[in-house]
Amino acid sequence: MKSYFRKHSILLITFAIILVFFAFAERGMGTKDFLITTLRGLSVGSVTFLVAAGFSLIFGLLDVLNLAQGTLYMIGAYIGWTVYVRPDTFVDLLTPLALIFCGFTLAEFWKWLFAKITLSERVRRFLPWALIAVGIAFFAVILPKYPLAIWNLDNYAQSPVSYAFAADQGTRLPVVPAVFEKIAPGLALTGLALASLLFAAGMALFGANPSTQKRLKLKDFIPFAAVLVLGLAAFFLNNTATEFLLALDTTWLFVIALAVAVIGGAGLGALIESVLIRPLYSRPIYQLMLTIGLSYVGIKLVQTIWGRNEFTMPTPSLFRPAPGATCPSTSLSAWFQDHCSTILVLDGRVRMYDEVFIPLVGITVLVAVWILLKRTRLGMIIRAGVQDRQMVEALGINVRRVFTLVFALGVGLATFGGTLAAPSTGLSNAMGESLLLSALIALAIGGLTSYPGAALGALLVGLIQQFVIKYGQIGIPIPFTDIVFKPSPPLVPASTVLLMVIVLLILPGGLLGKKE
Amino acid sequence: MNSILEVQGIHSYIKQYHILQGVDVNVPAGTITALLGRNGAGKTTTLKSILGLASVRSGKIIFEGKEVQGMAPFDIAAMGIGYVPEHRAIFRDLSVEENLKIAERKKGDYTRKRDFIFDLFPDLQKFLGIPGTSLSGGQQQMLAIARALIADNHLLLIDEPSEGLAPVIIEHMMAVIRQLSQTITVVLVEQNFLVASLLAEFYVIIEEGRSVKSGRMQDLVMDKEAIHRYLGAA
Repeated sequence: MKSYFRKHSILLITFAIILVFFAFAERGMGTKDFLITTLRGLSVGSVTFLVAAGFSLIFGLLDVLNLAQGTLYMIGAYIGWTVYVRPDTFVDLLTPLALIFCGFTLAEFWKWLFAKITLSERVRRFLPWALIAVGIAFFAVILPKYPLAIWNLDNYAQSPVSYAFAADQGTRLPVVPAVFEKIAPGLALTGLALASLLFAAGMALFGANPSTQKRLKLKDFIPFAAVLVLGLAAFFLNNTATEFLLALDTTWLFVIALAVAVIGGAGLGALIESVLIRPLYSRPIYQLMLTIGLSYVGIKLVQTIWGRNEFTMPTPSLFRPAPGATCPSTSLSAWFQDHCSTILVLDGRVRMYDEVFIPLVGITVLVAVWILLKRTRLGMIIRAGVQDRQMVEALGINVRRVFTLVFALGVGLATFGGTLAAPSTGLSNAMGESLLLSALIALAIGGLTSYPGAALGALLVGLIQQFVIKYGQIGIPIPFTDIVFKPSPPLVPASTVLLMVIVLLILPGGLLGKKE
Repeated sequence: MNSILEVQGIHSYIKQYHILQGVDVNVPAGTITALLGRNGAGKTTTLKSILGLASVRSGKIIFEGKEVQGMAPFDIAAMGIGYVPEHRAIFRDLSVEENLKIAERKKGDYTRKRDFIFDLFPDLQKFLGIPGTSLSGGQQQMLAIARALIADNHLLLIDEPSEGLAPVIIEHMMAVIRQLSQTITVVLVEQNFLVASLLAEFYVIIEEGRSVKSGRMQDLVMDKEAIHRYLGAA
């Protein structure tokens, strides 16, 4: 018992501090405000956790500080929004995206091919660049001719802002069908696939080692076939799929949006790791520059496609009352009938999506990833690899594949967080930056490579932010004086940094970090 | 006698440092071969080069008739090489059982081999649930060897098995390695010449990154002058 206390002393002290803090907070603001502020803190903490957990998994195993994590969170929100508000655009985009991506799924095949054919040293050096150049040229010719019915950014009535507004009002702006005018459909499809194959072959050639010979299995072609079939199916069933998605209940559409955000994020992560980060494992500084650069490229890309304006994402129908419902709901059973956006708890209005749904999803993901880490072979390899990558390799485990998987998982968590947060926070180009900062502070508090540390840190950051905001409204009476102290808004981010400074002064490795 | 592993004139680098400058090692199948030499001579780097963990810039490494230099470490290891590194490298966040399970190369390796492993190291069975690094030094060494035996390996690279262990435990370790050598070929790096001379059948002496002498251990034991010159021991 005594050794238990000593072993977990840090954790116990942390909880003691939180308890004392809560006791004071509860006395200062009353139970109603206290409850709502805590729930808000949980909500912000959940979203922060999703970004921080991905960051910590990637850093722990790969030693890559993925500073693009915030931008990827933002991109996730925009992807989810597009699926949710403009399903037609999503279906239109599926075909070209699948075709562009299909070449990269053949990495094993390219390596096998280039090990088979013997080339002179000069050709070997020149060929990858030539293939990449031809691939890019193909893309440049075909992509502009490909009909994409995206919104018109210059025309206010057809910009994402008005689409979002219309969706929020429960109507939808008319859908513009994609019509091939400038190019024959068959030419566009084969051209894009060909361009992708050439480009990916060029990229694969850089890392190819002629001395290794791998046997090619049929299994290596499955992802390629799957992507290709998806792309073609989206092309031929375009109208059916669009109509199906438009008629779908928004709750289900939201679930699809979340799924697409995770899959899209994971695919993007796998692509970034295998194409951009893999050649730089021996040069950590370059990786850092790469991820910073990627985050700027990502922001500019989003500005070009979706514009600079902020817009909203309507909450799913599960959180929208039917006409004639008595809102706010007074009990949970009444809420299940009426689907009000708020529920009355202790005379306070609790927002169901922001303050109940987001924390619940956050906790679910926390537990799911925890099970993945503790109960599966992949999790075992991740935990071992965080400590000693070389030894894991020496056991005959393909660590590179695990690296790609973990990077995909980390980015997938961030993009999932983006879509989850979007109905609550809205969408803006800047939403990633402040969240990345919060996530980094949370990780410094919790311990950089510790998964429970990421959760605890994110929770603390979320709670402190929300309590400081609340006290900014009601003020803290200083004992034995008449002074009421009101923290001003700049103190909100400052308070989390202050907590980080205190924690790091006492425990340089963070609350749950390993002592090295 | 045919060799399972041939290292031919390799030059290896760790980061930018040119550590090995011509090492030849010939390991006959079914034997124990000891790599001898002073601290920092390049013995550990030789093991790492075989596994691809150090970058081999020239020379050849032939394992079971196939050139493996330049291949990825996990591909080399998967051909059937087990590695017991210096300082054991037990995974701290994994339980003793997970430390064994992670070495599975085919599903079910652990279940198949567990009786064999626990016959060799009965101690491990008592501590399956605790974190791997909570074991004592000797038990960690046993765990590291057990981990290298889970998959079907034909060659075992063991780095400094006696380092920091009590004499009784060293004797146990030696008995185990001798027993293993009946089924698996072993390459041993050992500072303790007595231990090496009792275990190994063949030896290679490495000095300043070059292999300078090799042959049968029984001849080296007689050659007091060579022992003194290369190993500094009596």
